[in-house]
Amino acid sequence: MKTAPTTVGTSWPRAGAVQPAVIDALVPEGTYRTTRRETVRDVAGAPLVELAQVPGLYVTRMLDRLRGSQASSADQPRALLAGRLRSAGSAFASDTLGGLTPQEHHRLVARATGVPVSVVRTATTTIAEALTHAVDTAERARPRAVLPRGRQHASNSGAVVWRRRGRLLGVNASGNHPAVHSLWLEALALGYRVAVRPSRRDPFTPYRLILALRSAGFADEDVLLLPCDHGVADALIHGSDLAMVFGGDETVDRYTGGWSRTPVLPQGPGRVKILLTGPWEPHLDAVVDSVAGLGGVSCLNATAVLVEQDVRGFAEALAERLSALRARPPEQEDAQLPCLPMAEARAVEDALRHGAAGCETVLGDVVAHDLGDGSAALQPSVHLLDDPMAGQLGLELPFPCVWVAPWSMDRGAAPLRGSLVVGVSTKDPALVDALLAEPSIRNVYGLDRPTWWLPPGMPHDGFLAEFLMRSTALAGT
Amino acid sequence: MKTAEALAVLDAALDTEVDQDELVQAAMQWHFSPETGTPFWLDRLEQLDFNPRSDVRTVDDLRMFPQFVDDLRYAPVESLLPRGYGGTAEVIGVFESGGTTGAPKRVLYLADWMEREMAGAMRAMDERGYPRGVNWLSLGPSGPHDYAELTDQHARRRNGVRFAVDFDPRWVRRCLREGRGEEADRYLDHVLTQAAHVLGSQRIGAIQAPPPLLERLARDERLVDLVRGQVQVITWCGTSMDPDTRDLLRNDVFPGIPVYGLYGSTMALGAAFERPATENGDSVFDSPSPHVTYTVVDPDSDKPVAVGERGQVVMHHLSKSALLPNNRERDVARRVAEPPGAKGHSVADVRPLETFTGVPVITGAY
Repeated sequence: MKTAPTTVGTSWPRAGAVQPAVIDALVPEGTYRTTRRETVRDVAGAPLVELAQVPGLYVTRMLDRLRGSQASSADQPRALLAGRLRSAGSAFASDTLGGLTPQEHHRLVARATGVPVSVVRTATTTIAEALTHAVDTAERARPRAVLPRGRQHASNSGAVVWRRRGRLLGVNASGNHPAVHSLWLEALALGYRVAVRPSRRDPFTPYRLILALRSAGFADEDVLLLPCDHGVADALIHGSDLAMVFGGDETVDRYTGGWSRTPVLPQGPGRVKILLTGPWEPHLDAVVDSVAGLGGVSCLNATAVLVEQDVRGFAEALAERLSALRARPPEQEDAQLPCLPMAEARAVEDALRHGAAGCETVLGDVVAHDLGDGSAALQPSVHLLDDPMAGQLGLELPFPCVWVAPWSMDRGAAPLRGSLVVGVSTKDPALVDALLAEPSIRNVYGLDRPTWWLPPGMPHDGFLAEFLMRSTALAGT
Repeated sequence: MKTAEALAVLDAALDTEVDQDELVQAAMQWHFSPETGTPFWLDRLEQLDFNPRSDVRTVDDLRMFPQFVDDLRYAPVESLLPRGYGGTAEVIGVFESGGTTGAPKRVLYLADWMEREMAGAMRAMDERGYPRGVNWLSLGPSGPHDYAELTDQHARRRNGVRFAVDFDPRWVRRCLREGRGEEADRYLDHVLTQAAHVLGSQRIGAIQAPPPLLERLARDERLVDLVRGQVQVITWCGTSMDPDTRDLLRNDVFPGIPVYGLYGSTMALGAAFERPATENGDSVFDSPSPHVTYTVVDPDSDKPVAVGERGQVVMHHLSKSALLPNNRERDVARRVAEPPGAKGHSVADVRPLETFTGVPVITGAY
């Protein structure tokens, strides 16, 4: 069952290669090459790699065991941990890991997910920086009342210590954008074990990431990659103390709807919105960037724009700018739009057509652009609505697809509810206050930056530590 | 006289080798003659575009039969009893399929067939070193299913006592179909608690269980210790098991205890014990007897596939007690080379078909 540490490296698919390599599970014993494997294909349907499929029995027994003790990093001095995370970041960005150079890695992820290669490369930087700053980010989330780490002697008057809610975090990842893997790294800084179930579309990123963490000194039993089918994914969530689940509404609803005894932090669609008060012209660049940057596939991309003045003029100007984006295969340097297998692209197009019934199409009568090899690039779409409360404002599709609606001051913050980010241009501080007062809006930015702005140390959907840690009273010890 | 001679192969002594084509021809005579025939088949004679008594001569010819098993969901069981028994057949039971793909199908299990099936099972167990004189724990369904009867026979014929834990697979499937996985989990826990009582208080030398229950048992360290300390062989059956799980059970959870699969179908009235050696890491099952044979076919063209290729498993049962030819099972498998001289195909890497007859298959725990 156990194999020696991975020595693949000669058989990664390149042009003309026939024998796909295997991505093994990364387990406490090192690596695990299962008999049962799934073929990961590129957007044109060509096989790229075989992905191990870990059986449920293995996952449940291993997690049962690992939950019983804490990670070896749990009590490490902060400086040591910070150093390890930093060198993991540098290894992930620069080293050959599992036989993959960063360049090969970027090309494979682009071919498999359809995310433009330049976006994939930026995601690598995002992940490396998140590692570099993970300890600081975790520290920023620490409540002021809590004693610094390592000092747990309480005075007579009592003290507050910050404790982990569990020992093991399960992550059910998605493959829409590689940087989803920047979002669980704080858990390592907080001394958690982490078990990641990679998406079938992008097992490459967590594979190299976990190999990087191991090369930097994290124990094999503290960072795990457990590729598996849906049934076993349930076992992974069940077997974790806490879990993060990435995915669409259906996935997130399933795991948060009382099904799981494990507390789950959902990472669903962002439904990011932009609000333009006053003239929109100065902000057109920021809107285009918010909609189409990152390939338009991130939960941080803008899905809807609400406009106070000249909504039609804005929609047409936005459409003109977005229509300049060209369909290219994802591995090409100038690619900007996401690609999918033709059948999936058609399904997205159908979902759009269905969702857009009754709306005015400003751009994107045809979304799926046939690239001739079995894949399609998804070209931007802009639709104009007449009501800022219309349901379409929450319809998030995996490409630059945006809904534009009129807004007026008397509508206030209500149409912006349920947004991971609201990007706003306004001179009215009361409006900003109203947005901040709306509990279902997570982050509020000005339009001097795109909605996907997220440097290390800023909370994405709260700090992860808010989910992983709790404050505990300690007295008389 | 000629007829009686031709039919003799149906009553051949348990330890004699029978010619398979002779068996096919005798079964056709028996089940389709007005005097000895089975009412179920006689009623369907008109619908056949061939004459079974003259046209079906070989195992391959069994493929001429249309898919008839759906009729077993509604046929009165009396119609399944061949007239040739003259009202003296000993019926051990009426057994039902799991109901995975709709209303359950029913078959009759006659005592003379039980003798044949058990003779084969005992031979297979002897070849694999199954112990005698130990008690068995069987986790699996009773009620309308053949499982409880067969495991009881297994234990009894090896001079053991069988402890049973009851289990309703249809309830588990219903829970899963309705999205109540939590409820199915609770039920399996309930079943396992009962197994724990038996393992904790009785001497158990052999265990027979469907893979999901075996996996649950394997998660419980106390139960694993109780098994390791006394059990000499483990048999899994009822649903398929992936090779990685099987290897974990063999190498990590129950090292030193032989673990064998038993692949059968209620609709074939028989089961095959796993070959002692795997092929490419996969468990292999040879057609269990001349009476129960497999054919792996291309689901679209219906043609038998070549060795090494995957297809849908078709099962045939031929005996004095029953005729169940050309039944497409809910499984897909890879055909592997059969042992020398065998007529039926051998199968490896058996898995449930994604969907079957348009109804989604929920395999559940059995």
